[in-house]
This record gives sequence, structure tokens and C-alpha cells, in this order.
Amino acid sequence: MGFGPGGLDCEEALREVFRYLDEETDQAERAKIRAHLEACGPCFEQFGTSADFKSLIARRCGGERAPEALRMRIRAQLTRVTLEVGHVEYRPE
Amino acid sequence: MLLAERSANQGVGFALGTVSSMTKLVASFREVGHVAEETAEERRARFERDALPFLDQLYAAALRMTRNPADAEDLVQETYVKAFAAFHQFTEGTNLKAWLYRILTNTFINTYRKKQRQPLEANTDTVEDWQLAAAESHTSNGLRSAEMEALDHLPDSDVKDALQQLPDDFRLAVYLADVEGFAYKEIAEIMDTPIGTVMSRLHRGRRQLQAKLADYAKDRGLVSSGSGSES
Repeated sequence: MGFGPGGLDCEEALREVFRYLDEETDQAERAKIRAHLEACGPCFEQFGTSADFKSLIARRCGGERAPEALRMRIRAQLTRVTLEVGHVEYRPE
Repeated sequence: MLLAERSANQGVGFALGTVSSMTKLVASFREVGHVAEETAEERRARFERDALPFLDQLYAAALRMTRNPADAEDLVQETYVKAFAAFHQFTEGTNLKAWLYRILTNTFINTYRKKQRQPLEANTDTVEDWQLAAAESHTSNGLRSAEMEALDHLPDSDVKDALQQLPDDFRLAVYLADVEGFAYKEIAEIMDTPIGTVMSRLHRGRRQLQAKLADYAKDRGLVSSGSGSES
């Protein structure tokens, strides 16, 4: 237990920055961290920078669309497998 | 054999049979056909309706894993075939997206990582490790706001390149958390590892990524090498 705002030292608050941003902290932890950030400018700035970093990765590292040919290949293969099974299942006795 | 496989897998939300050939795949269907009150065609339709909408996301993840489009396509196709074969083991109403990612990750590790002959990450990372590193980072290596502003001006290709350079386990953890927004618990299930290890991989991965991106920004003259050295 620290002596800073929210009962946290800066070190304790900063240790949790990504767990907080990843929404993995519980309600009590969040409340303490928020109280700390409201009173501590440097930590507030560091949390903001880390949030920006997280959002940069989210925006820049995904979002590709699969080629249409791949979608068609997969659907064709699923149909082929299903037909083989269907053929067995519906074979007259 | 299949029965044994199935009972071993029961109760595990993410269970996968090892489907190695089409014959086996068809056999698994035939067997389950008696259990599930669903025709093969109905199951195919349900699978396409529920699982195919994740195709773009899985492809983007596969690109990050394999680092090239041809392998990414093969990986995604193999993933869908395996997922279809194991679809009867999936419990409707649970997390289909995480289940598909688990199959994707598994397939990548078992096939493509071997093919690419990448050394496995040593699994020596622990929670203690992560906490120590976090404590030390606040005094030394946190990303400065001036640096962060510079990173925003990097081209997409630089950001992707930097991510691609991370070791597999770090890259994947960061991708699943930041791009896909999975919870730590889900990442732990997808990567089949304890949550402490997920946190450690995330911490190290993000740190390496920040360092690499800061280097790119410096190389492009977006930030002077002296800036951000205060504190």
C-alpha cells in the first residue's frame, strides 16, 4: 500500500498501466488507479501515452481482408466433405 | 480411437481431435451423425453461417503469424477444415471466435512454425519476472509522449514490420490483446498457457515493440535522438 493519491505510489500505479488499459483490473483497483490519475499529472500522461500506443497497434496491425478466392476454396471444400458424408448417410439399405 | 479421442476431449471447451486426413474427417462425421440430431448438410450450413464471418479476421491474424500471404491462406484453410471436423465438439453459445483462434494458433504452432524452423521461445518467463520488469520500466524505458507522437507518423508498413520482428509468442500475445481485444483469460486458452505467462509475454512484447518503433521513428528523422531522455 503506497502513500500517493488513491493509496498508490506512482510506481504501483505505473506497474498496472496495461492491466488497467486491457480492462483486466477489478473495480476496486480501477477506483484506486483513477483516484491516483486524477491527482498525478505525470502518471496521467504516461497512461495516456500507453493508451495511444495500444490504439496505434490496434489501428495499424490488422484489418486485412481475405482474398475472395480463399473464401470460395473453403466453401467448396466444406461442401465436398459434406457431400461425401451425405452420400454415406443416405445410402439406401 | 475416435471414441477415445472424443471422451478425452469432453469437457474441454477448446478440444480438438487430431484430424490428419480426409478419411478420418469423414469418419468422425459419420460417427457423430448418430448423436447429433442434425444432418451433415444442416451442420455445414450452421458452420458457414457462424464461422465463416470470422474469415477476414483469421486471415489477418494468419498473416501476422506466418508473415506471408501464401502460407496465411493455407493456414486459414486448414484451420477451417479442422474446425468443421471438430464442430460437433464446440458448444453453441460459447466463444466461437476464441475457439477458432485456438485452432488457428494450434495449427500454426504444429505445422508452420516447424516449417519455418523458428526456435521456440524458452518458457522461462514468470509473473515475478513480469513484475520486476514492470517495476524497472517506469524509471527507465516507458514510452515518452514525444516519442508516441512521432510513432503516429510512421507508415503502416513500419508498424507491421516492427510487430513481425517480435518472437512468435510475444507477437501473438500482443496481436490478440491489442488488435483482437481478447481478455487475458481467452489469450491463455488460445495459446494454451497460464495467465501469468500471457502477462509476461504481453509485457515483454510491448516493450520490444515500443523500442523497435522508437528506432524506426529515429531512423526516419521523426524524433531527435536526444528527445525524451529526460526524467
